[in-house]
Amino acid sequence: MTDFKQIENNLKKEAKKLLESAEVPVVLAYTRGYDEKHPMPFAAKSVADVEKIVFNEYCNFNMARYIMRFPDAAKIAIAAKAADSRALVVLIQEEKVRREDLVILGIPASGMKDPKTDQLIDSRTTGGLYNPVEYDILLGEEIRGQKTVSPYAVLADYEAMDKEARWAFWKGQLDKCIRCYACRKACPMCYCDPCFIDQNKPRWADKAPQSPGNMMYHLTRFHHLAGRCIDCGECSRACPVGIPLYLFHKKVAKECEEMFGQAAGMKLEDKPVLVDFRVEDSDQILK
Amino acid sequence: MSRIGVFVCHCGHNISQTVRVSELAHFAAGLPDVVVAKDYRFMCSTPGQDMIANDIREHRLDRVIVTACSPLMHEHTFRKVIEKAGLNQYLLTIVNIREQVSWVTDDIEEGTAKAKALLNGAVYRARLLAPLSSRVIDVNSDVMVVGGGIAGIQAALELANTGKKVYLVEKNSTIGGHMAQFDKTFPTLDCSACILTPKMDAVLQHPNITLLTYCEVSEVKGYVGNFDITVRQKARYVNHDKCNACLACTEKCPGKGISGWDEGLIKRKAIHIPFPQAVPQRPVIDRDSCTYFLKGKCRLCEKVCEQKAIDFEQHDSFLNFKVGAVIVATGYDLMDTRPLIQYGYGKYPGVYHALEVERLFNSAGPTSGKVTMRDGKEPQAIAILHCVGSRDKNNYEHCSRVCCMYSLKFAHLFREKTSADVYQLYIDIRAAGKGYEEFYNRIIEEDVKFIRGKGTRVAPSADEPQRLIVEAEDTITGKFVRLPVDMVVLSPAMVPRSDYKEIARLFNLSTDKNGFFMERHPKLAPLATMSEGIFIAGVCQSPKDIPDTVAQANGAAAEALTIVSRQKMELEATTAMVNPASCCGCQNCVRVCPYGAPFFNEQKGVSEINEALCKGCGLCASVCPSSAIIARHFTNEQVLAEMEGLMEF
Amino acid sequence: MSFEPKILGIACNWCTYTGADLAGTTRLHYPQNLRVVRVMCSSRINPSFIFRAFQLGADGVLVGGCHPGDCHYNTGNLYARRRLAVTKKILEFAGLEPERFRVEWISASEGNKFAQVVTEFTAQIKELGPQQKLKIDELLEKI
Repeated sequence: MTDFKQIENNLKKEAKKLLESAEVPVVLAYTRGYDEKHPMPFAAKSVADVEKIVFNEYCNFNMARYIMRFPDAAKIAIAAKAADSRALVVLIQEEKVRREDLVILGIPASGMKDPKTDQLIDSRTTGGLYNPVEYDILLGEEIRGQKTVSPYAVLADYEAMDKEARWAFWKGQLDKCIRCYACRKACPMCYCDPCFIDQNKPRWADKAPQSPGNMMYHLTRFHHLAGRCIDCGECSRACPVGIPLYLFHKKVAKECEEMFGQAAGMKLEDKPVLVDFRVEDSDQILK
Repeated sequence: MSRIGVFVCHCGHNISQTVRVSELAHFAAGLPDVVVAKDYRFMCSTPGQDMIANDIREHRLDRVIVTACSPLMHEHTFRKVIEKAGLNQYLLTIVNIREQVSWVTDDIEEGTAKAKALLNGAVYRARLLAPLSSRVIDVNSDVMVVGGGIAGIQAALELANTGKKVYLVEKNSTIGGHMAQFDKTFPTLDCSACILTPKMDAVLQHPNITLLTYCEVSEVKGYVGNFDITVRQKARYVNHDKCNACLACTEKCPGKGISGWDEGLIKRKAIHIPFPQAVPQRPVIDRDSCTYFLKGKCRLCEKVCEQKAIDFEQHDSFLNFKVGAVIVATGYDLMDTRPLIQYGYGKYPGVYHALEVERLFNSAGPTSGKVTMRDGKEPQAIAILHCVGSRDKNNYEHCSRVCCMYSLKFAHLFREKTSADVYQLYIDIRAAGKGYEEFYNRIIEEDVKFIRGKGTRVAPSADEPQRLIVEAEDTITGKFVRLPVDMVVLSPAMVPRSDYKEIARLFNLSTDKNGFFMERHPKLAPLATMSEGIFIAGVCQSPKDIPDTVAQANGAAAEALTIVSRQKMELEATTAMVNPASCCGCQNCVRVCPYGAPFFNEQKGVSEINEALCKGCGLCASVCPSSAIIARHFTNEQVLAEMEGLMEF
Repeated sequence: MSFEPKILGIACNWCTYTGADLAGTTRLHYPQNLRVVRVMCSSRINPSFIFRAFQLGADGVLVGGCHPGDCHYNTGNLYARRRLAVTKKILEFAGLEPERFRVEWISASEGNKFAQVVTEFTAQIKELGPQQKLKIDELLEKI
C-alpha cells in the first residue's frame, strides 16, 4: 500500500488544488494534536491551512460526522478511509448531504493504530475494508490481494453462548456504562439533537448511569443504528470503560444483512433498511 | 393534577356477571386523581349519559373514563356526552371490559382483576390526554359507484335522483352484471331483462350519472369527503362518440372470441357488444381475438364503418375524479368447480354450472332459449346438485343463500321447456324469503323429484355411454342412489370476484376469510366499512338475493348521502405534528409516510406535517429517532404511561 | 399459587383490536393475563415500547397487526414487520428469551385466531416463568 507520508503529501496537494480553485471552501482532514499520536479533525479553509494537514497511522477516527458542521459551504472536500466513505454513503442516503456537494478524497489503508494502545486496531472490531466504497480522487493505490475476513466472524463465540451467558455478559458490560455518551459522540450516524435519551417528553429512561436506563439507552441505540451502522468501531474505541459495543452493532448488522440483503453504506442508491420494506419480506423474520 | 371521573357500566348482566362492577368502581375511587367513581346498569342509556354529564359539572371533572364495551362501539356516543357537558371530546378514555374481559372469561376473579389492571392503565393514560380540536373539511358532493350490476345501478340511480352527481364505474363494456344474464328471477318468475333493462337505460339517460364502462379504478387517494380517484379507461378501439351503433362492424368481423357473457357456451365476434340490450350500445374490440391484433392484417371493421369510429391506435387512458364518498358493489364469481373432480365439470360435456344454465334458458342466449346440450340434444333426465363447494368445510363453509331458490327455478323451467325428469339433490331446502316457501311448495307439485342428500360423484354410465350417473345417499331412505341422467347442473358456491384483493387494497377494505368485504359492524353498520366514506352493497359483502341486494344498494346510497349532503365535516383530530426543537432533520418521516404528509422544510432544517393529508397512523412517530413527532392521542408519553398502569396490577 | 404472567398486548385498531372484540362477541374464552393497549397501526410501535414493557415487568409482549397487504394505512405493517423483527433480534442477542416477544397478524374477522394466539402465548410464557432480566427492581427509580 501507499505509505502514510505519501498519502499525506497527496492529500495536501489535492487540498491545495481544491482550495485554490475556490470551488471548495472547506477541506476536512486531520491536523497534529498535542503530539503526533493524537491527530485532530481539521477543516482547512485556505491555502495557508494546507500545511497544517497531517495524515498518519493514528488518524483512525471517522471524519464523516463533521460534514454536517458546514451547512453554508457550497462544497466540502473530505478525506475518507473505507469506513468514513461508508458513513458518507449513509449520510447521502439520509439526505444530510448531497453527493454533488462532496469531493471525497479516498484513502486506502490497511491498518490504523489506536493511540491508547499503540497497537494496530484489530480488524475484527471494524468492518475490515481497506478501500473506500465511494470517492472522487483516490490518494493512494487501491489495496488488492490482501486477506480479508468476514466482519461478522468475531461474533461466532458470542452467538455460541447460551442465552443466560449472553445475558450475563451484556448485563455486565452495559452495567459498566457511565453514560458519558462518548459512543454517540464518536458515531458518524448519531446526529440527533437531542438524542432520544435526553428527551424529557417522553422520558424514556432515568438519566443516572444505572442498569435500567443503561439498558434502554443501549438497546434503543442498537435499534436506531440497525441498517445504518457502518462498522467503523469508533464507539467501542471511544468508550472509556471498554464496552465492546461493536459486537452488538455487528450482530444487528449481520441480522439486517441476512433479512434484508443489504449492508449499510455500500451503495448510494440503497435506502436504509428500516425506513424501507419489500412486500415479499418474509414473516419468518419475526419468528 | 387531573380530576378524573370513572363510570363503570354493568351492561345489564353482560359485564356484571364476570366482573364485580361495584368493586371495580370502589377500586377506581382509590386511584390517584380519581375524584368520582360510579357504576350503573346501562351507562349508554339516557339516565347513564345524564349521570356522566351531571358529574362533569358537579365535580368539575377534566377527564372522563367510561369502563364499558369496546371503544369501537360507543366511543362516539360518550365523546358527544362529554362534549355537551363542556369537556373536549378527546379527554375521554374507554376501557373495554366487555368484549375484552367479561365476554372472554367465566371466572369472576380473573375478570375483575383484569378489569382493574385495564382501568389503572386508563387512569395513567387519561392524566396525559390533551384536548384536541377537530379539523373541519369541505366535502365534495359527488359519489363514485364501483360495479355496474344491479347493486351499483340501483345505488347510482337513487343518488342521482337526489340530485347528486354519480360516476358509475364498470369493468365490462356494458352494465347489467349477473342479473342481465338471467332469464327469469325467483320466486315470481318475472323476466329479468324486463325489470332490469329499464333501469340500465335510466342510468344511461340520467343527467346526473356519468357512466364509465370498460373502466377500472387504478388509484385511490384522499380521504372521506375528498377522495381523489384515478380510473383507467381501457382501450376500446372504437370511438364511442362517433359510433352510431349500426353494428355493421360486428357482422363483418371474422375474429372469434369466447363469449364471457354466454359463459363460454358460444363464440362471439372480436368486435362485439356482449348482448343485444347492452348499455351503452357501443361495441369494443377484444385484442385477444381480433385478427388485426393477432396477425397484423384485416381491419374489415374499419372499412365497413361509415362513421370512421374504429381507432386501432387507441390506448388505455387515465381519468381523474374527485368524490366525497364511494360505494363498492363489485359482486361475485361462481366458484371454479373444475378442481372438484368428483363432479367432472370441464371433463364431461353434460355437466353445467348454474350460470351456463341461466344462459340456456335465456331467449337471447346461445340456444335462443331452447334447452339443448352441447351435443345439440335435449336432455331426458337432469340432476341439479345443490351446495357444490359451499356449506362444505373442505371448500367454502358459507351458504350461498340463493342456490336453493334458483335450483327450484331451474327445475320449473326445465319442466316447462322439456319433458325431462328433474332431480334435486339437496342437503336441505333454504327458502327463507318473501314468497320463497310458497314457490318451493309449487315446485314440489310440479313433479320434480327431491332427493335429500348431497351429490357425491358424477361418472359416465357404463351401460349408456352418452349418459352420466349421479351418485348420492338419500338420507331419508338411507339408501345409496345412482341416477342415470343426461345433464348435471352444479350450483356452486358464490365467491368474491377474482380481483377482490386488488379492490380491497385500493379502497382499504378488510375481507373475511372467503374474501367478502367486511362491514364495519355485522348488525349495526352492515354497509359501512372501516374506511370512512367507503360503503359496500350487494354480494361483494356476502351472498344474497336480488331483493336484499337492491335493499342494500338503497341503504348504501343513503349512507353515502349522509356524507355528501353536508358541505363540511369534522375529521379526527388525531394527526401527527413535529416538535421542531427536537427534530434532527433525518427525514425518516418523509421517507415512510404512505400519504406524503410530512415534508422537509429546508430553511428551518426540520420536518413539518401537512395535517390535511395525515391519517394518524403514527408510523412517523415510531421512526423518529429523536422523539420529535407527536402522534396526537397516541403520544409516546400516553402509550408509556398506559403500559405502566397496565403492568402495575 | 401458580405463576400468572402479565402480558402486554399492543393491537392495531383496525384488525387485531377488532378481531379481539370479535373473540368477545362470539364468547371465545382465553386466559386473562393479557392487557391490551390500542394503537391505530402496528407501525406506531416504537421499539423502545417493547424494551420499556419488559422493564415495567411484562413477562411477555404480544403485538397484533393487520395481515401484510391489508394494512388500513397500506404499508404501515410492512415497515412494522422489519422494525419489530430487528427488535426481536436485539432482545435475543442481549440474552433475553425472544419467545417472550411475539408478533401476529390477526385480521378483524379472526376472533378465533386471536383467542388461540393468546391462549398459546400465555401457556408459553407460563412455561418460561417470570421475566426478571429487564424488569426494574422496585427499589430503583421507575422514572
